[in-house]
Amino acid sequence: MTRVALLRYPGTWSERDFQHAFAQIEGLETEILWHEDADLRGFDAAIVPGGFSYGDYVRAGAIAKISPATKALRRFADEGKPVLGSCNGFQILCEAGLLPGALIRNSGLEYRCDWVHIRTESDRTPWTAGLAGEVLRMPIGHGEGCFVADPDAVAELEATGRVVFRYVDAKGAATLEANPNGSIANIAGIRNEAGNVLGLMPHPERCVEALLGGTDGYRVLANVAKAVAPTVPAPVYR
Amino acid sequence: MRYIATLHVRTKPEIRDPQGEAALGALRSLGLEVTRVRTGKEIVVTFEATDEASANDAVRTMGNELLANPVIEDVEYDLVAGQPA
Repeated sequence: MTRVALLRYPGTWSERDFQHAFAQIEGLETEILWHEDADLRGFDAAIVPGGFSYGDYVRAGAIAKISPATKALRRFADEGKPVLGSCNGFQILCEAGLLPGALIRNSGLEYRCDWVHIRTESDRTPWTAGLAGEVLRMPIGHGEGCFVADPDAVAELEATGRVVFRYVDAKGAATLEANPNGSIANIAGIRNEAGNVLGLMPHPERCVEALLGGTDGYRVLANVAKAVAPTVPAPVYR
Repeated sequence: MRYIATLHVRTKPEIRDPQGEAALGALRSLGLEVTRVRTGKEIVVTFEATDEASANDAVRTMGNELLANPVIEDVEYDLVAGQPA
């Protein structure tokens, strides 16, 4: 059984959607972990779900950065375990320095709630294996999803194949119109150097059933079951 | 010893400031010849420290670790000893 931890900070709201999404995938079990006592031992992968952790006060993801859960997450990521942050989770990963760059207010200042197309630019993450070049359709819902980084950092992301998802139109072209928030180079998702940490603004957990408008999120999330060799469950201390 | 730090957090010049751009458009619509608007925030922190050097260290930690994101923001501060207003 592959065990996936879903981190819950005060204000996180997508952890139950992730739980529902992973319930569609065979061989996975999930547990929601409260940020104050998040112990990631015994888990094979971790999710930082979306929401408004700490009300987005100071900056989106800023206060979550110094939460105990994020310290545990940093160690978990250093061990090479798969980590995925979506939406506010992506913002937290950037704030925590697990991913480069930052996410600022959308260029149009509007909260964007819509469906977008993203092209998979890299299959070198446990989450995107077998998806290289695929155009996926996923929902977004964010006010601060404009990815920025200094030009050198962006050049390095591009040169090292660390841009994982790019906003594109339905035909797969990265046009200005297809960019919902003004992100540099239409960047929708990036990975760390080792490849185990992925952050993206779209919500894969909200598109795992045809009934809800799409199943492309399933293709990303189901990968983790294949990528991870199940570990022996950690002893339970009570 | 009580200190009061006022941190001024501004978006780095090379980073887009959509809020400033929106204010720019609005100010122009008032008929003003405005060419650039940059927004930021001011954060006032009252805290205890043993002396001025450690107070400065504490403010830098506040700025670097939480109150500003060095990727996108610059931070400057004023520090005074005394009681809050």
